[in-house]
Parts: sequence; C-alpha cells; structure tokens
Amino acid sequence: MSEAMAHKRPVLLNTFIYGFIILWLILAAVPFLWTVWGSFKVEADFFSRESWWNAIFGTATIRETGAAFTGDGYYGAWITRDFWKAAFNTIIVTICVTTISLTLGTLGGYALARSGRNYAFWILIAALVFRAMPHITLVSGYLLPFFQLNIWGVLPTSIIVLVAINQPFTLWMLHSFFLSIPKDLDESAMVDGCTRFQAFRLVIMPVMWPGVVTTGLFSFLLGYNDFAVTAMLLSADNQTMVPKISSFLGSIQETGNVMFAVAAVVSATVPLFILVLFFQRQIVSGLTAGAVKG
Amino acid sequence: MAQIRLKNVSKRWGKFVGVDNFNLDIADQEFLVLLGPSGCGKTTTMRMIAGLEEITEGEVWIGDQMVNKLEPKDRDISMVFQSYGLYPNMTVYENIRFPLKVRKVPKEQHHERVMAASKMVELDDFLERRPAALSGGQRQRVALARAIVREPNAFLMDEPLSNLDAKLRVSTRAQIKNLHHTLKRTTVYVTHDQIEAMTLADRVVVMNKGVVQQVGTPMEIYDQPANTFVASFIGSPAMNLVNGMIADGVFTSDGIRIEGLPHRASGAVTLGFRAEDANLAEANGQIEAPIYTVELLGEATMLSMRVAGELVSIKVGKDYRAEIGELARIAIPASACHIFDQSTGARIEA
Repeated sequence: MSEAMAHKRPVLLNTFIYGFIILWLILAAVPFLWTVWGSFKVEADFFSRESWWNAIFGTATIRETGAAFTGDGYYGAWITRDFWKAAFNTIIVTICVTTISLTLGTLGGYALARSGRNYAFWILIAALVFRAMPHITLVSGYLLPFFQLNIWGVLPTSIIVLVAINQPFTLWMLHSFFLSIPKDLDESAMVDGCTRFQAFRLVIMPVMWPGVVTTGLFSFLLGYNDFAVTAMLLSADNQTMVPKISSFLGSIQETGNVMFAVAAVVSATVPLFILVLFFQRQIVSGLTAGAVKG
Repeated sequence: MAQIRLKNVSKRWGKFVGVDNFNLDIADQEFLVLLGPSGCGKTTTMRMIAGLEEITEGEVWIGDQMVNKLEPKDRDISMVFQSYGLYPNMTVYENIRFPLKVRKVPKEQHHERVMAASKMVELDDFLERRPAALSGGQRQRVALARAIVREPNAFLMDEPLSNLDAKLRVSTRAQIKNLHHTLKRTTVYVTHDQIEAMTLADRVVVMNKGVVQQVGTPMEIYDQPANTFVASFIGSPAMNLVNGMIADGVFTSDGIRIEGLPHRASGAVTLGFRAEDANLAEANGQIEAPIYTVELLGEATMLSMRVAGELVSIKVGKDYRAEIGELARIAIPASACHIFDQSTGARIEA
C-alpha cells in the first residue's frame, strides 16, 4: 500500500521526503560512525591538524603501528587504565538501581493506583517536584553528610542516591500503567481466592510486563548514563564508566589518553544499541498501549 | 447451605450515605435480586457481602459465621463482574481453572471440573482462546464458568448482562436461571433492569438512595407496590400516578373521577393504576380527556392522555385507531387502583 501511495505523490515531494530522510540519517548516524571508525586510529590521525582525510586513511596509524587499524586505544583504556573495572562497576550500579527502583516502584505504584485516599495524589505531586529538581542540587547537599558518615566514594551510596532520584519517575510511570488495568481484575482474583498480594503477583503483574520493561529500561538508562551523581559521589577507584571517560579526557599530559576516551565511549555505547534492538518491541508496546483489553 | 443475613448494615463515605440500615435474610438456595436505579446502593450492598467494601456499621452473616472481618477469599462466595474481570494473559481454560489453582484444590480434579463447568455454559470449543479473542457473550460465559467451577456457597452477580446486546441478554438470562435451577446455590443478583428482576428472582429488593423500599416476590412488588417509587420503577410502562383528592371512596382530579374506592383513605392522595388495567369505556368512563399520542406496539396500542397534569398511558386493543386530540373515554375498575399518601408516597391499604 505504501508503494501505491509513493506512486501517487508528485516526484518533487518524493525527492524532498527522501532527501530529508537521508539528510536526517546522516546527521544522526555520522558522528557515531565517525567515532567508531576513529577509535581504531591513533591520536595523530583522529585529531590530525593537517587534514581530516588522515582520520579516514590512517596515515599516522600506518606510520606508528604498521597497519591502518589499531586496537591501542581499547587496550590502553580497558587494560592499562582499568576501564574493565569501571564497566564492572557500571553493571553493578545499573542492575541494582533498576532492580530496586522497579521493586519499590511496582509495589508503590500499585498501592497508589488502588488507594482511594486523597494523600495518594499528594504523594505523587511531591514525587513530581523531586523529579523536577536538577540532580546536581541534590548531590551537593549530600556531600558533607556522606563525608561525615564516612560513606562517600563507595558504590552502595551512589546506588541509593540514584534510586532516590529515579524513584519518583518509576512511581509515576508504573502508577499510570496500573491505573490502566481495571480494578475488576484484582477484585475477581481476590474473590477467586487470592490474597491482595497474590492478586498482585499472579494476576496484575503478568499483564504489567510491557510497563515494567519500559520503566525498567528508563531506570537502566538513568543509572547507566548518570554523570552528576557518580562523578561527585564515587572515589577514583570506584568510578563507573561515564565519570571514567571524563577522567580520560581530563588528564591530557599522557599521550594517547584522548584515544582511550574515544575507545571507551564506543565501548560504552555498543551495549545500549544491543539493548534497544533487543527490547524494542516491548518498549514500543509499553509506550503506546499500556491499556489492557480484557 | 448458605443463608446470607444482613443486620443493620450501613455504608458511609464521610457524610455520604451509600447504604442505610439494610436488613435482610436471604434463604438458602434463594435467587435474590437487588433492584434500583444507579447509585441506589445495590452494588455497594453486594460488595459488602463479597468483602470488597468495608462495612461501616452492622453485621453480615454467611451461614452461621459473621464475615465482617473476613477477606473475600475466606467467604466462600464467587462473583461475576459487570466487566467480566477475566485475566487477559490466560486462556479460557486457565481462567476457569484459576480459582481451583489458588485454592489448592487437588490437581487431579482440575481438568474434570473445568470441563464440567465449561460444558455447562457451552464453552467447550473455546478453551484454548484468550479472552481478547472472544465476543462479549462468550466472555460473560467464561466469567460464569469461573464462578461455578469452585461450587461455592453463594453466587454474587453484579449486572452481568448489562454489557450484552438485547438479544444475547435474553438468552444469557435464561441460561442464568437454568444454572441456578441446576446448581441450587444462593444467588444475589444486582440489576437496574426491572425485567431481569421480574424474570429471575425468587424475591426482589427494591432500593432507592441507599434505603430498601420494598422486599417481596416479583408478583407482590408488581401487584402491591409499597410506595410511589416502587410503583413508578416496576413495570413497562411504569404505573400511572395521578394526584388528587379522595373523600368517601371517591377520587377526583382534573379529568378523572373514580368511585367505589376504599373509605379508609381521605384527603390528598396519589392514585396509581397500570396501563393494562384500564380500557376503553363503553359509555361513561372514569377518565375523559383528549388523546395526546397513539403509539402502535404491535401486540397492542398505547394511548396516552393528559390527566391532572400528568401523562397517563392506557393499553388498548391492537386495532384501535384514533386521531390526536380526539376525546377518549377510559374505564378504570376501582379494584385495579392503588392509593398512596401524597406527602409520604406510602401505600394506603384497602
């Protein structure tokens, strides 16, 4: 059908439409592809002052390493500068943040969605206010007490702060998903012989998966991409990927450090692509449908 | 064995009174219908029996147990919801089996009982489908099967037919009546449709604004309405109600005069009579008024005319024809008249 429609459109409009799509694709994809390509070069090529063609042909890379592509950036970042440790920390932080946020979020969102009380509304409004605050304003307030309590610099502290920042959002999101599930479902489960919690676990949760996956993905991204909290609250030994990349850029006394950052950026981005590709169907259904047709 | 007893049951939300001092004994195996307009407290009453709504005041007994503090699952009742409440992620088979599963009924019995229940509601061909792939009537039958599979003490049904189209409503209604006859369980059925109430019930409870108006068999409620609310709610068309004065057994008002009524009533009253009890008068009728409309119903003709400011309906033979504005004479036998107190609306017995 789309083919038939394309035939009916005037040629000029078609050209414009496809031209725009191609332009948009280039704008969106080229910076990333450029970084991926460049991450296999040496700094003299990727940041060449003579000509940017060097980055494509790898003139300096051939001169320095003997081949057009090199894994030096990756080796330096992952092995020499312990990026693997940062990656490992990121895994711990994101998994913990996602699991805790979702657990509290589903229970709390369900309770708020099913509660007929007025204060449920005010709790949600308060959550929205906290959500609207810039993360950095919260973090700067945390620094002193964390030093005093001697819990600064370790992963659990950052995890707790990230969960706190993320929770209002998960509550809102899951709350509205639960609202879209008719109350009759809980009630028939309870008459059929479930406790309130069994009704939640056996009847409501199975219908909630698209919502949980979508909310979980956003929580994951928050933990994965966070800079403000992890940069301020983690010691150099315990850094996650994003502040680690920033520290590669920060110290430019050593040669090759910038290339470590480029390699690390590529390493940190690839999992996101895989994740989105893998979950795209759930994400779309979670974002669009939500409602359950009974 | 399950009588259900409600003692002085009330439900309030803040100052709003949902159900006010409800008293009722429902006999074992009785089919009881709670009937009333929307917002009258009938569904709230049922939900209090089910345990889905907290009881503000009073006691609910099922069998010889006070169930006020019991969870819905411990009351051994099953319920059919207006919007069915089917589990969308499970097949029809799993939906019907769910109550057995969560109540830990021995696994060997599951298949047999699910099959028996689904056969009873003629669902055998759809067991592998999901609710989304069923029509409204089929979904309703899944809900029924899920309610009967456990063989509970009592069934509660909350307007189970209101989401079905008219034709399906009639056949499902018959099916529910038949199921009740087969299973012989106490059934409480909520509806706002007086025809459902008349056809299904052993006894009907008519409610309005949280207060019970009348309890009785369908015939009692139809023939001896306790007040003007019940009179105007039951029957299609509703009972004609005309305000006027009565003295020495003679009721008079603008365009109407009926003699031979009981002498007990006097003063300002409301007179009620049903459309089918009135007929065309041979000579002098009790009503003499111009015709307002003539409606053909097929099996009869509905005549309406303005009497004492009210439109009254008269059912006459199907061959009757008349022009709008023509004068008609209507005979109403005194024995078919109901007399209500004009200020309280309560029935005045002969």
